[in-house]
Amino acid sequence: MSQAAKTNYILNLYPTTKLLFTLFIALSVFIVPTYWYAYAMLPVCLIIAIAAGQGKEFITLVRNGLLILLVFIFLMQAFFYPGAQILWQAGILKITQEGILYGLNMTSRILAIGSAFILFFRITSVKDFVYSLEKLGLPPKGAYVVLATLQIIPEMKKQTSVIMDAQKTRGVETEGTMMVRAKAFLPTISPLILSSLASTEERAITLESRAFSAPVKKTHLYEIYKTKHDTVVRIGMLVALLILIAGRILL
Amino acid sequence: MKTGIKNDFTLMAILLIPVCVAINMVGFQIAQLLRLPIFLDSIGTLVIAMVAGPWVALVAGLITNLINSIFNPVYLPFSLVSMAVGLAAGFLSMKGMFKKVWKVIIAGIILAFVSTIIAAPITVILFGGVTGSTGGAITAVLLASGQQIWTAVFSTQFIQEIGDKLLSAFICFLIVRNMSDRYLSKLNYGQIYMKD
Repeated sequence: MSQAAKTNYILNLYPTTKLLFTLFIALSVFIVPTYWYAYAMLPVCLIIAIAAGQGKEFITLVRNGLLILLVFIFLMQAFFYPGAQILWQAGILKITQEGILYGLNMTSRILAIGSAFILFFRITSVKDFVYSLEKLGLPPKGAYVVLATLQIIPEMKKQTSVIMDAQKTRGVETEGTMMVRAKAFLPTISPLILSSLASTEERAITLESRAFSAPVKKTHLYEIYKTKHDTVVRIGMLVALLILIAGRILL
Repeated sequence: MKTGIKNDFTLMAILLIPVCVAINMVGFQIAQLLRLPIFLDSIGTLVIAMVAGPWVALVAGLITNLINSIFNPVYLPFSLVSMAVGLAAGFLSMKGMFKKVWKVIIAGIILAFVSTIIAAPITVILFGGVTGSTGGAITAVLLASGQQIWTAVFSTQFIQEIGDKLLSAFICFLIVRNMSDRYLSKLNYGQIYMKD
């Protein structure tokens, strides 16, 4: 995230505040019994994403990650959930009232929790999130592992295509029947694995020369702080949660 | 070398985690590029389980799913599966199950069972039996032919896992066999695979 984006007050919230919001949505869809509420969480998340300037990415991820799955799940429940009230029947296939209801309930909750989760990572950089976890007690080595992984993945993907091209020049076929394609897998992945494993030794020496595993308190070059916005948002969520629970008990 | 959960997280093991997580993802990507019908997304976890032990592999499995779930939250509950596969592979390797071809086959079958037993309940309870992959169609056919949801999901899952885990285990066997003794000697569980 650029420095300009940092002036946005949603992006500026402390990572754990945003995580609590995700947990708040996840909990509340189990407190409120109607599926309308859970479905309404998608537009809520969308509005927050747009306000944070992440609307487009949010929609793409929800569409690619959740949409097809939800349609599948809904059809599965509609057709196969055991029920007595049959709405439509053809041969062994039947749609029941109970199935549709169960399908709506299940998909609404997956959609709500899924989109809250996607929203969290759209408005929180992993760097900030890991920093806040470190403040909560995650060992610095754990933080290193997560951040290093995020760096290594694109690097290795690049290396994969280099190796694949090299093997193609050598005559390894990557097109054709399934057996031919399957045979290309090993010559691609084994040089990749062996070379990247060997590089861990050099990385170990480099890190050790900077006292990576020295048993001292580590300092940070990069820090983030909680603001009064965080307190306001947290109290707001607590009040909303109490209202929802009270409503569930009284109604 | 001292082993166990307290001693396994050496610097070398910690540095292997990011690499093996990346291998998991790249393995999946290559399988997609070559249009293979299996995932091959646990090769990194198996390799790290063999050379750095079950506990490090458990963490590698967890991180793989956490990072995948940044883009697709469906992966999140399946972290348990990756963790269990890492743990199981580590213990199998300690028993020498990745040293001979016939043992690798048995290890692959055991790993397929482990991941089925953990993945199927998650699929049924959280997602009602489908997770959007091609397996959904098989599950639907089994359900339509009158099978119970649990039987249907267990069978689908096992059919998908068995090929995947057998092949992954075999690939890891070949890769670890090619590692140099000099490198293996720096890892807590490397001596299992040293040549003499």
